[in-house]
Amino acid sequence: MGKADVVPTPGVSSDTPAFDAVVVGAGPAGSATALALARAGRSVVLVERGPFPGSKNVYGGVVYGRVLDEVVPGWWNEVPVERWVVRRSTMMMTGTQSLAVDYRSAAWGEAPYNGMTTVRSRFDNWLATKAVEAGAQLVTSTVATGLLRDGHGRIVGVRTDRDQGELRANVVVACDGVNSLLAKEAGLMAPAEASHHTLGVKEVLDLPGHVIDERFGLRRDEGVDIEMLGCTRGIPGGGFLYTNSDTVSLGVVLSLPHLAEAKVRPEELIADLKNHPSVAPYLRGATLREYAAHLIPEGGYDTMPTMVTDGMLVAGDAAAMTLAAGLWLEGVNFAIGSGLAAGRAVDRAIAAGDCSAKGLASYRSDLEGQFVLADHKRFRKAPALVLSERIQQRYPGLICDLVDGMFTVTNPVPKPGGVRLTRSVAAKHGVKLRQLAADTVRALRVFG
Amino acid sequence: MSAAGGVPGSGHEVPGGTWRGISFEDRMSTVEFRVGERAHITVDSDVCRSCTTKACVTACPANLFAPTSEGGILFNYEECFECGTCYMVCNHEGAITWTYPDGGLGVVFHHG
Amino acid sequence: MDDIRPGPMVVACIRITDLRPQIEPLSGTVVREPWSTGLSPPDAAALEYSFRIAEAWSGHVVVITAAPPSADAVLRDARALGATVLRIAVGSPSSDQAYMDDLGSDERAMAGMIVAALAPFGRPSLVVCGDRSSDRGTGALPAFLAHELGAAQALGLVAITTTDQESMVVAERRLDGGWRERLHVPCPAVCSVEGAGVRLRRASLTATLAAQRTEIPQVTAAGGPGTTRGTHPGGPAEVVVGPGRPFRPRTRVVPAPDGDDPRLRLLALTGALVAHDPPTVVGPIDAAGAADALLAFLIRHGYLDTEPVGEEAATEGTR
Repeated sequence: MGKADVVPTPGVSSDTPAFDAVVVGAGPAGSATALALARAGRSVVLVERGPFPGSKNVYGGVVYGRVLDEVVPGWWNEVPVERWVVRRSTMMMTGTQSLAVDYRSAAWGEAPYNGMTTVRSRFDNWLATKAVEAGAQLVTSTVATGLLRDGHGRIVGVRTDRDQGELRANVVVACDGVNSLLAKEAGLMAPAEASHHTLGVKEVLDLPGHVIDERFGLRRDEGVDIEMLGCTRGIPGGGFLYTNSDTVSLGVVLSLPHLAEAKVRPEELIADLKNHPSVAPYLRGATLREYAAHLIPEGGYDTMPTMVTDGMLVAGDAAAMTLAAGLWLEGVNFAIGSGLAAGRAVDRAIAAGDCSAKGLASYRSDLEGQFVLADHKRFRKAPALVLSERIQQRYPGLICDLVDGMFTVTNPVPKPGGVRLTRSVAAKHGVKLRQLAADTVRALRVFG
Repeated sequence: MSAAGGVPGSGHEVPGGTWRGISFEDRMSTVEFRVGERAHITVDSDVCRSCTTKACVTACPANLFAPTSEGGILFNYEECFECGTCYMVCNHEGAITWTYPDGGLGVVFHHG
Repeated sequence: MDDIRPGPMVVACIRITDLRPQIEPLSGTVVREPWSTGLSPPDAAALEYSFRIAEAWSGHVVVITAAPPSADAVLRDARALGATVLRIAVGSPSSDQAYMDDLGSDERAMAGMIVAALAPFGRPSLVVCGDRSSDRGTGALPAFLAHELGAAQALGLVAITTTDQESMVVAERRLDGGWRERLHVPCPAVCSVEGAGVRLRRASLTATLAAQRTEIPQVTAAGGPGTTRGTHPGGPAEVVVGPGRPFRPRTRVVPAPDGDDPRLRLLALTGALVAHDPPTVVGPIDAAGAADALLAFLIRHGYLDTEPVGEEAATEGTR
């Protein structure tokens, strides 16, 4: 029994912090923070508003577990996995056409694996259980309703919606998700910035495992990840399809301001996608198991909130740590990475006896030094490029028509030359070759 | 459907292979909601009367907002995904007050 | 084992289960997840009524369940609310065979087990159960418990209230046609309640944290039917229904029709050829107008008193 077992008793002076840290939100970021702190011997309480960890969480579908290698060695032997992703497909679509770049790797289907599909209720519980086993205290069904501050305005804990619900701690780690009411209350985040967010709507569809194997060319626990562009009626965003054991996750991600402007209902766009000739055959006979919706912070590096203030850190979606950089769509790994870094920073700050913004500043430098912020920084211009008008509305059709022009046999008319074809197709889609070249250079700069 | 080779026969599709939409009620019935007594969303309909876009009506994935004939907004909170779309797309300060439901209540995703 | 506390003992006997198990559509396999276990609405109501009655009696609550360790989280929440908790260890329901075994299990034996496990705590004044469980349950367990305890029983209740005496509770039960009957239930008694009307209280954060790391006392299954039969002198006391007799709706006397032809008499009696009132169409109409029209219709046909219905609504003989 370690330090983490100490339970605050009523009557102890309310000025004394009962815990080293209180972590709000038992998602991947919060559980990783609590795990790191508990492992370091700190007393930590993990507050979750849902009845169990994962009950409020939705994701597209792939967890990249490399970040877990150090904290849970051999995690792949125990993690609740649905399928290991061995096939990644990126699909450009118009209403009737599609062009896919399909990569398959046998290595991804073997330990230590690359990405996996999982169900968040299972995965988040697994990670939270790791934190609890390390000594963290998990309190579910409890909302952190606000911040506690001392006379100097320093954050010293959170208020919850239970009776006697004040939790005092040296540091508050806000892992309370994309809407982070705590980061907003602390003044670290703008109250509502629609342009930095996308709405993800998802259907989980029942399909027997052997049917999934046959239709997607998979064996046993192998899975596929298909990202789609050009399937959202011109609303910036994209579509996705992931295979689970005996369900398929299918959904669309939509830029909020454009969705609002388009006056289209989100489920209609899912119906469009399900009816697409490239998608419908995969899903024949599937029935809806669960419908879900969640916001995604997609603004990238330049829209991230201030991550540290006196007595508080922000991690995970609350710190806008999802990478939505076109070909890369990741979030859970960044949440775990930022959570682990937050845990280390809090541990160092407590050891040094300085939990001010200055004392916690190692969090940011730690993140900059590893993939969490390095990746975001590298692809900082990607969200703007990927959601730009030409990429979203013109290029999918342009590319599909280009391929159509190359492979549609028009005997006895001779085949068109590449340059002439490109020029005529580009003109049809209102794109000048000069713009095409400029965008190629821009893409090379953004992703290079 | 018998030709579908082991696929359950209750797919939401028509013989041509295209999906017909399932009703919105059926769609929402696949989600678990533990409904509390307190409305965690409130809408100030007086503000909505001056709103010309009413973006919340179409954008809300749970379809919780309905325009009234007087130009206001009727809202429900019971089947809310707690996603935050409504207040994010709302361009009128103070029209939508948005919080989380009380602990343990609200949406419960099992396959998120 | 938790401390044995003074005052009357109210037992909440609850079933803890996955509230939304996954059922594989092809194989019928039921998948239960340990973290999504919880209390069904009837069980939550049973727990809440136990606390209310124990408070009124200055007594204490004992929560007992027969479940695998996945139930401990729910029991810790109950402990945070101030209850003494106890779990009878039974097999993990994660396997289908265990589930089938459970379905076929002997509820009378289960009742015997529960009563045996409660014995060290003293004699319960009241046992409250949910009237149904979400996964299985015949609803028969409360009756077996009453038999084992030699206690009175009142099942399928919508409300339990205490009286001036600790030896009596007053319960309400739904009847057909929107009526309710009121039962005077002598203690010791076993009651089962519907999952309606009350919400389970929430524990304070301090108590929740304190309950977190505690061990849930566990007893192994023992006992059986008849091993712990309550010895209430003269057998269990009787439940008194309403003001001394069960509620019976008054019969309406229909006079025999006149005439010699049996066919005509039959027609007159059944009203088969009589023109009926056509349906009343009042729309399109606004909401307030529609409500007024409905109320007027109900009053016209004698379903409503013209006076507003108040406190009396739930008492015997009053609608």
